[in-house]
Amino acid sequence: MTEAIIKADEAGENTILVQKSLRSGQTVEFPGNVVILGDVNPGAEIIAGGHIVVMGALRGVVHAGALGDETATITAFQLEPTQLRIATHITRSPDGTDAPDIIHPEIAMIRNGVVVIEKYVVPK
Amino acid sequence: MGEVLVITSGKGGVGKTTSTANIGTGLAMLGKQVVMVDTDIGLRNLDVVLGLENRIVYDIVDVVRGNCRLKQALIKDKRFENMFLLPAAQTKDKTSVTEEHMKALAEQLKAEFDYVIIDCPAGIEHGFKNAIAGADHAIVVTTPEVSAVRDADRIIGLLEASGLESPKLIINRIRTKMVQAGDMMAVDDMMEILAVDLLGIVPDDDTIVISTNRGEPAVTDEDSKAGQAYRNITRRIIGEEVPLMSLEEKQGFLDKLKTLFGSK
Repeated sequence: MTEAIIKADEAGENTILVQKSLRSGQTVEFPGNVVILGDVNPGAEIIAGGHIVVMGALRGVVHAGALGDETATITAFQLEPTQLRIATHITRSPDGTDAPDIIHPEIAMIRNGVVVIEKYVVPK
Repeated sequence: MGEVLVITSGKGGVGKTTSTANIGTGLAMLGKQVVMVDTDIGLRNLDVVLGLENRIVYDIVDVVRGNCRLKQALIKDKRFENMFLLPAAQTKDKTSVTEEHMKALAEQLKAEFDYVIIDCPAGIEHGFKNAIAGADHAIVVTTPEVSAVRDADRIIGLLEASGLESPKLIINRIRTKMVQAGDMMAVDDMMEILAVDLLGIVPDDDTIVISTNRGEPAVTDEDSKAGQAYRNITRRIIGEEVPLMSLEEKQGFLDKLKTLFGSK
């Protein structure tokens, strides 16, 4: 039993703004970009055709570029996902390590065929 | 007109029934008219925790089926005149109770009692939906375990989706020494995820086990730390401002010596 807050077939806009935190069991599916104004807790899930931006702590499962777009990125104030997927690539946090206390926003993207995570730098 | 509180958690075994018994008794000690409703049909045990098992004649299923009047099914507590229990059925079909029944029952009880406290079964299925149907407010119980916090988060989401906004949180079975040693989730870590108001913190206390087995809620025990925590929680429920109690354990002489010599 999941509560899809927005379903993929309700498309129309290219980007959707979710103005709440996602708790365990809640999902957002959208063919475009997804912006969350809040946290994404463990057990919550976002599946987006485009980019994902989380203005809070990202601790759940996220899938950007779910329709195959390898240029999709995932950005969060605190990037600590359970699992992170971009297009057909899947990564997870290393086993047995606590999430490091990183206080800067980070971005995940595919570069040379692998998912890389780095400090988010405002493009000039 | 009274208030209907549902006590829920998602995960089993975190202390819903113990919390219900202690909060109900605590409110009765403050002179409120209280009724507790056990909605865990088939696995009832609130009656056991309250020591009222041998008094049950009718139960909640009898009431909704019209086999008896509501008054006949209410069991008066053996310590407090102003406290009653509506027990769950143990052997009857649990699908005979619906959300409409629960709403009607809550309205009826609310008219006669200051507080109606509903003990919710574990899980998020039929029994959970019934338990929350007639509630005005929800109290979510969790323990400092990743699985319990995950389920509490799920439950808070479901409560909010059902219109029970801003539930209150009780964190049960905190062990201060383990938190200090970094071996147990700290209150702040849990609050960061769950982001709801904290109603109280209950320490892991041997007296709870003893009192639960005896059928005498710990809240009546002046010397019990957990009992003190529940007394504070009940005072917060009736609207008093009570600061969170310190869970620091007093150091014995030997502990102090050990600290002095830097060994643990």
